[in-house]
Amino acid sequence: MKELLLDNISDNFVFDKNENFFINNFDGEKDIKITLNEDVESSLSMLSLSGFKGNINIKINKNSRLEIYYADFAKNLSKTNVSVSLEEGAKVIFHLASLTEDNSNKSFTVSVDHDAINTYSLIDNYGVVKGNGKLVFDGTSYIKNGSAKSKTRQSAKIMVFDEKSIGIAKPVLKIDENDIEASHGAVVGKISDEHLFYLMSRGLSEEKAKTLITYGYLKPIMNGFDENVQKTIEQLIEGRM
Amino acid sequence: MSTLVIKDLCAEVEGKPILKGVNLTLSKGETVALLGPNGHGKSTLLNVLMGHPKYKVTKGEVLLDGKNILEMSTDERSKLGLFLGMQNPSEVPGVINSDFLRAAINEHSEKPVSTYQFYKLLDSATKEVKMPFDLATRGLNEGFSGGEKKRNEILQLLLLNPEIAFLDEIDSGLDVDALQIVADVICKLEDKGMGFLVISHYARLYDLIKPTRAVVMINGRIAVDAGPEVAQRIDKQGYEWIKTELGIEVAKEEKDMNTVSIGSCAVKESIK
Ligand SMILES: Nc1ncnc2c1ncn2[C@@H]1O[C@H](COP(=O)(O)OP(=O)(O)OP(=O)(O)O)[C@@H](O)[C@H]1O
Ligand SMILES: [Mg+2]
Repeated sequence: MKELLLDNISDNFVFDKNENFFINNFDGEKDIKITLNEDVESSLSMLSLSGFKGNINIKINKNSRLEIYYADFAKNLSKTNVSVSLEEGAKVIFHLASLTEDNSNKSFTVSVDHDAINTYSLIDNYGVVKGNGKLVFDGTSYIKNGSAKSKTRQSAKIMVFDEKSIGIAKPVLKIDENDIEASHGAVVGKISDEHLFYLMSRGLSEEKAKTLITYGYLKPIMNGFDENVQKTIEQLIEGRM
Repeated sequence: MSTLVIKDLCAEVEGKPILKGVNLTLSKGETVALLGPNGHGKSTLLNVLMGHPKYKVTKGEVLLDGKNILEMSTDERSKLGLFLGMQNPSEVPGVINSDFLRAAINEHSEKPVSTYQFYKLLDSATKEVKMPFDLATRGLNEGFSGGEKKRNEILQLLLLNPEIAFLDEIDSGLDVDALQIVADVICKLEDKGMGFLVISHYARLYDLIKPTRAVVMINGRIAVDAGPEVAQRIDKQGYEWIKTELGIEVAKEEKDMNTVSIGSCAVKESIK
């Protein structure tokens, strides 16, 4: 995986060959534009530690595919607005894991425009919110008229740890074409008492049990990172519980 | 030697009284069969002993070697040497079984086990319960069959080695071979002096693990505390005799069960 610095990303960052990128410290205020040329398969992994605020506009050209892994463990605010447009045969897969806490207020909007036929999008957002935090997942998958044979799925899941924290998940589908597949799912819930009891009945403290459950919840994001970054993420989760 | 003393224990769930004055003593080295018709509070008792948050204790005390465990958190009770094999173990998605088992073992040992030690322990315990090793690497009980979940409970019992174990219908969902395996593990641990309080509706399990006593819970109380032959008698005759001989009216479940006898169900269940 090739490491990039957020500061070095130009106004229009072009992916012109198959490559996997990693941005550590995906933090600060910035607008980014990314273009995938035709027939490129790439991935972009980002780890946010203090907070990101800005728009990320992504254009994926014909028959290209981008997989994004966004690990958000920012202490502060995050307000990230991702919009993707897909040309014919283009695919985007977006994974987000967010741990929101300590009065922070975060929102992630992930929208995809299916502008042509045979396009694919999968939005998979996971969040844990605790300690008076507020976390919002939203965004619209829009399949435009003429984008037949396209598929989209928007999924948002938030686990709310305590009474004072707020989780809102409201992905939206907008469909103007018949011959397509679309689905969405949103779940906001608290950590199950039964699960906690089960783990604690084996001697795990409440904190340890919650850490394991949270870790299990946010873990799918790990697939997008190298081993050393996985360790960092693991420690971040443990340190925050 | 550990002794658990339950005195006049009353508990409710969502405002509904379930346990209505339970008195029971269990010492390490004993295996006590806990019987009783459906819905009379057996699982409630075990859950209360382990500190399930759903149940509220309204009266009474539970002493383990003189210490009141009702004031302790669930994890403290576990560390003190109590174990509950659940009637319906939860599926906890995302939590890897072996991560969970290792964390549990670490809570019960002075210093954390090394990766090598852990895999040795896990390997020998999975072999003992004849559980495919890959179940240990999957999500905790996630997609496990009924019998696999029960084996996973017994695996945890082996790994944590408590002083006193409560087993809630550990035999339900087990095929004949698995029942034998589980019974063998229980017998081995009995020989080592572990104490057991075992709920089952079927004499088959009791025949294998040879309880030292049998108690019957009726209407949220222990109505009978006697020798192990009571388990056989219930298997053959059901619970009606308790009413005639002891004059206890056996409350029936709201959804009409025309007989509280489990004899005939027991036969059907074991043929399946
Ligand atoms: N969350 C709950 N809300 C209301 N009632 C409950 C709840 N949990 C348990 N109960 C009731 O408590 C009573 C005792 O249940 P318990 O599970 O202890 O019975 P049991 O003796 O273990 O029965 P079984 O042999 O069927 O397992 C039942 O009437 C049950 O419906
Ligand atoms: Mg029960």
